[in-house]
Parts: sequence; C-alpha cells; structure tokens
Amino acid sequence: MPVSTFMGLQTTLRGLLAHQQALTTTSHNVANANTVGYSRQTVDLTATSPLVIPANSVITGAGAQLGTGVDVTAVRRIRDTFLDLQYRAQIMKLGDAAARANSLEQAELAFAEPSSDGISSQLAEFWDAWSALARAPEDDAARQSLVTKATTLAATFKAVYDQLTVVAAQAQQEYDAITGPNGQIDLWSREIAQLNETISHAVAVGQTPSDLMDRRDLLIDRLAELGQVSVTDTGNSNLRIEFGGVTLVDPLRGAIWPQTLTRPGGKLGALQELASPTGPALTFRARLDDVVADLVARVNALHAAPAGVDFFDPAGTTADTLAVVAIPATVQAGSTADPGRNDIALAIAQLRGGSTERLYDALVAEVGGEVQSIRRTEVNVQALVDAIEDRRQSVQGVSIDEEMANLVRFQRGYEASARAMTTIDDLLDTLINRTGRVGL
Amino acid sequence: MALRVTTMMTARATVRDLQGDLAELSRLQRKLSSGKEIVRPSDDPYGASLALQLRSELDGLRQYQRNVDDGIAWLNASDAALSKIAEALHRARELLVQGASDSAGPRARAAAASEIDQLIETIKQEGNVQYAGRYIFAGTRTDTAPYTLLGPDTYAGNNDRIAREIGPRVTLDINVTLDPLLGGGQAAGDDRLLHVLRDIADHLRANDGVALRGTDLQRIDANFDVLNQLRAEVGARTNRLTVAWSRLRSLEENTTELLSGVEEADTVRTMIEYTTQQAAYNAALKAGAHVVQMSLLDFLR
Repeated sequence: MPVSTFMGLQTTLRGLLAHQQALTTTSHNVANANTVGYSRQTVDLTATSPLVIPANSVITGAGAQLGTGVDVTAVRRIRDTFLDLQYRAQIMKLGDAAARANSLEQAELAFAEPSSDGISSQLAEFWDAWSALARAPEDDAARQSLVTKATTLAATFKAVYDQLTVVAAQAQQEYDAITGPNGQIDLWSREIAQLNETISHAVAVGQTPSDLMDRRDLLIDRLAELGQVSVTDTGNSNLRIEFGGVTLVDPLRGAIWPQTLTRPGGKLGALQELASPTGPALTFRARLDDVVADLVARVNALHAAPAGVDFFDPAGTTADTLAVVAIPATVQAGSTADPGRNDIALAIAQLRGGSTERLYDALVAEVGGEVQSIRRTEVNVQALVDAIEDRRQSVQGVSIDEEMANLVRFQRGYEASARAMTTIDDLLDTLINRTGRVGL
Repeated sequence: MALRVTTMMTARATVRDLQGDLAELSRLQRKLSSGKEIVRPSDDPYGASLALQLRSELDGLRQYQRNVDDGIAWLNASDAALSKIAEALHRARELLVQGASDSAGPRARAAAASEIDQLIETIKQEGNVQYAGRYIFAGTRTDTAPYTLLGPDTYAGNNDRIAREIGPRVTLDINVTLDPLLGGGQAAGDDRLLHVLRDIADHLRANDGVALRGTDLQRIDANFDVLNQLRAEVGARTNRLTVAWSRLRSLEENTTELLSGVEEADTVRTMIEYTTQQAAYNAALKAGAHVVQMSLLDFLR
C-alpha cells in the first residue's frame, strides 16, 4: 500500500521543530546558568506514532509500521526533591547557628577584654587607688583619686551592662522585622500562595511550569533558613507549607500571616531565645550583676565596719545601678579618726585578686567559650550546607560544557533534518518537473 | 551517578575557598599587627581568663613594690632619727659618769645639767622627725608632733601600728613608737628616758653625787637596752623589706614572662604561617581564575 507523497516532508518538519525547541531549551539553560535556584531543563523527545501499513505482501503476508518522526512530549526540570529536604533541614540549623554566633560575638565585644579599658583593668586600678590611700591615708589627693577611680569603674560596669541589653534588644528587633508586616515571612508567604495557584492551574491542564516551581522552591529554601518548614503536596503541585508549627500557606486559603509560631526553630527560634531573659546576653548580664553584688558587699562590709559609712550605694547591686556614695571626706581609710590610720584601706586593698575578680574572670572565660563553640558549630553546619548544595548543584545546576555539547548536537540534528527535507524536495522535483515528459 | 560538575559549583567552590583563605589571612594579619595571640576571649577562653588573672597579679606586684619602697624610706628615716637619739644618749651617759665623780664640783655639775637639758631637746626634736609631711613616731596621729619642744614631756602620739601590704595578704608594720623609749617625763614617773634624763639633770643641779652614782647609771643603761632593741627591730624590718623587694622583682619578671607566653603572639611562627597562607591564597586565586574562565566554548569554532 502506498503512503502519501508528502509524508517525508511532514516527518522532516517534525525533526526541525523538535530540534528547534531543544535548541531553545539549551539556550534557556545557558541563559540561567547563574540564576539562583534554577534547575536545568531537558526536552523529552519521543518518536511519534507510526503509520501502519497493512499486510499486502503476497510472499509473507506481514505488514509494516512506518516511522513518522519525532515529537516533544515534555520539557522537564531536573531536580532531586530528597536533596531539597536535606538542604532545608541543614539550612535551618545554619540559620540558628549564624544568628547565635552573631549575637554572641557582639556580647563578647561588649566586654572589651583583654584591653586596658575593660572591667578587669578598671578593677585593678580601683585596688591600686586603695593601695595608694593605704600608703598615704592623710592625703586628700589619694582620697579624691580613689573616688574618681571608683566612679570610672561604676561607669565601665554600666557601659558593659548597657551593651549587653542592646544585644538582646537587637535580637528582638530583628525578630520583629522578619515577622512583622511586609517582613520576609509576610512577603514570601504571599508570593508562595500566588505561585501555588498559578502552578496548580498549569499542572491541572497537563503543563509543567518548571520556572515557577524553581521560584517557589527557592522561596521555601529561604523560609527554611528562618524556621522549621515542612511541605505537603495536596495534588496538582498545590503545596501546603507548615512553618514553625503552624500552617503558613494553605492550598485553599492562601497565605495565613501573622500568626504566633509554636516552635519556630531556625533563625527565628534562635532570635527568640537570644532576646529572652534566659538568653545568653541577658544571662551574661545577670552574671555581671553577681560580680557587682560581690564587689559592693565586700568593699562596703570593710568600709562600713567602723562608722557605718558605705562606700558604694548598698542598694546598687546590679551593674547599671552601681554607684559611689562616698565623697573624699567620707572615705574611711582607718577605723579611728587618727589621720595616719590605714587599716581599712589596707584591708580593702587586700581584696585584690579575690572573689570579685574570680567571678569576673570566669564570666569572661565563659563568654569566650560560648563564642568559640558556636563559631565551631557554625563552621560545621556551613560545611554540611555547602556539601548538600554542591550535591544539589551537581544534579540541577547548568554545566556550560554539557550545554555546549547539546547545542552542537541539536544544531547538527536540525541541519540533518533540513538536509532530509531537501532530499524529499529533490524527489518531488524529480517527480513533478521531470516525470512524464516523454516527447516534450 | 557520577558527580556532574556544573558552572555554579565551580564558581561557589572558588569563592568559598578564597573566602576561607582570606579569613585565615586576615586572622594572621590581626595577630601580627596586634602582636597578641589573644585579641578576644574566644581566641582562647582559658588563656584569656588566665591572662586577666596574670595581669591583675602583675598590677598587684607593682603596688607591693611601691609599698615596700615607701616602707624602706620610712624605716630609713626612723633609723636615722634613732641613731641621733643614741648619740645624744651616749653623750648624756658620759656627762653622768663625769658628774657622778666626786672630783666634779657643783659648777661642773651645773654645766653638765644644762647640756643634758639641751640633749633632751635634741632627743625630743628627733622624736618629732617627719617623713613626707608625717610624724613617723606618733603612732597613727601622724599630723601631731609627739613631743612639745621647750615644753612638758608628755607624749602626744599613740601606740597604734601602721602597716604596709608587701605581698598578697602579707602586711608588715613599718612604724615604731617612741613612747616605750622616751616615755612621758617626770610627770608620768615611768622611768623611761625623758624621766631619767630630767632626774639626772635635777640630781646634777642638786649636787647629789650619791643619787648620780647610785640608781641613775642603772636607769640610763636600762634605757640603752630599750633603744638598742628598737634599732634592732627597725633594722630587721628594713632587712625583711629588702628581701621582699627582690622577691617581688623576680616574681614580677616571672609573671611578665608567663603573661607574654599566654597573651603574645610568636612573631616568627606567625610570620611563617602568614607567608604560607599568602602562597595558598595566591595559588587559589590563580587556579580560580583559570577554572572559571575555561569551557568547551573556547574550543568550539
């Protein structure tokens, strides 16, 4: 049984069109080689349904199927969703560690140790002033210098206290900025809801909106850094996003924000803890208060022994309320009014290197230890995130070399299809222009 | 599946490696420029707390040295005054021995008596000696002259002690009081130096050879013992302070060395590390520049 004269033309045309689409997709990949979150796309080429030629052979009685060319059945994105899950789990830990490291480093800077401006040096100068007074209890200059040194010490304690308060407040501010109106969560959840709608409509009619899906996955990656994310496909790639223990994007109701997160995790969880009274900055601050309370108690106990005159305000037992109430004239150098009496000053000077310093040194060591440990955690988690991101990029990333090879391949395919079409055309030329011209 | 290496991966890896190298380079540079191993507590938490402790110790040691210096100067002033008093006492004893002899007539005795009056003034003047504007023999009444010249012999100071801190929780009294030696004169009747000398002067004037030969010599010799004890005491304390001073000096040196070991960077080692790291950074830069540049594109026509 004969086939259509023009069938070859149709077959070669399909080849041309398919290669053209493949070339377009390759160009799209190359163009997006550096787009964050982009997954490379491939064209699925499938042979079209063959033309069935019924059995007409008198010898074998067998028929044949004649190929009709190629068709593009799908443009797919190459992506490993399992790696996405791993990535999101680790980036959440990184968000947590990075926020903590940042805040703790600020707290560490607040202490300004070791330096000549830190509390440690100021405390040493305070004891020096008592030593000087013990050497010259009659000397008004020594008294004046002592009161000045003590006032500077109190100011230094207060400066560190204020810095630590600011560190905690900054964590709260950052939390509020992220979760507030037009904050990242607000914007991203609304965009995800919109993408959900567009994508599910496209999928419902059999399309694969790869680029929109990439965008949505990128937004989910970013959300994962902020907090615990879990994703459920409710059909037609319409996703339900659970965030920090609550439903953030519902397939039917869209974005639901603001809400109170029940277990935030990630950066938000870290910020919430950093701002809380049990967070590191405010814990350090409370420990600093302990140092001050010890200082006030010890100095006052000795100073007030003879005449009941306090040196520090006994009510000011926190770093921000520490205050010197003694004036040069009321500084008690000795237990009697004799001008040469220096036993009190001597006893206070001997507090040097005592419990006050031990408390403070331990605090500094603890702050340093915390920073060191969180920095290590951050580096480790970062390495994990990098490794997973490398795996992801290995799967979904664009390789220029590969695309160049594809470009050559598809270009050659296109050229060959064109050549085939020319051949058919030549056949038709032979048939139409040179056949049946006997005698002409 | 074999690892596909994609453009994004190489770019990310290049940037990451460069970042890592640069961070290490800047850490070493910070170490070199500050000369410190520990710039923040997190560089070495235990070392940082140790450094704070050592610094505080060092500061204390310097204060103790000042206290010792001050104490030595105070004791030197005391010793000088006591040796003047001893000279005066020797002269008084000479006069007593001469006056006690019956060969001495009433006129010679009267002359000796007025010299003893002068010696008493000299002794009281030495008792009023000052160091840095303070009366060092007045106990803690450092603003009051302990004896009134050309006046009654009463002691105006007290017997309180003045101490200096010469080590952690170690104090040493640096003052001696003259009351046990000089006493309060005839009014107090305490047989101490001023009382005895006044009596001797009186006995000389009264031409009382018996009294002079009798108890007066014993009484003045008893006071010599008290004075020698005082001088020995001052000498012993000066000695102790001198020993403490050299001990504090060597402690300061040791602590300084310890602190620099904890806190300061080993410049030579850091410099070598820095150079090595710089070479690594250069290599990474060069490699990065090549890897990112090349692709199949360069070889297709």
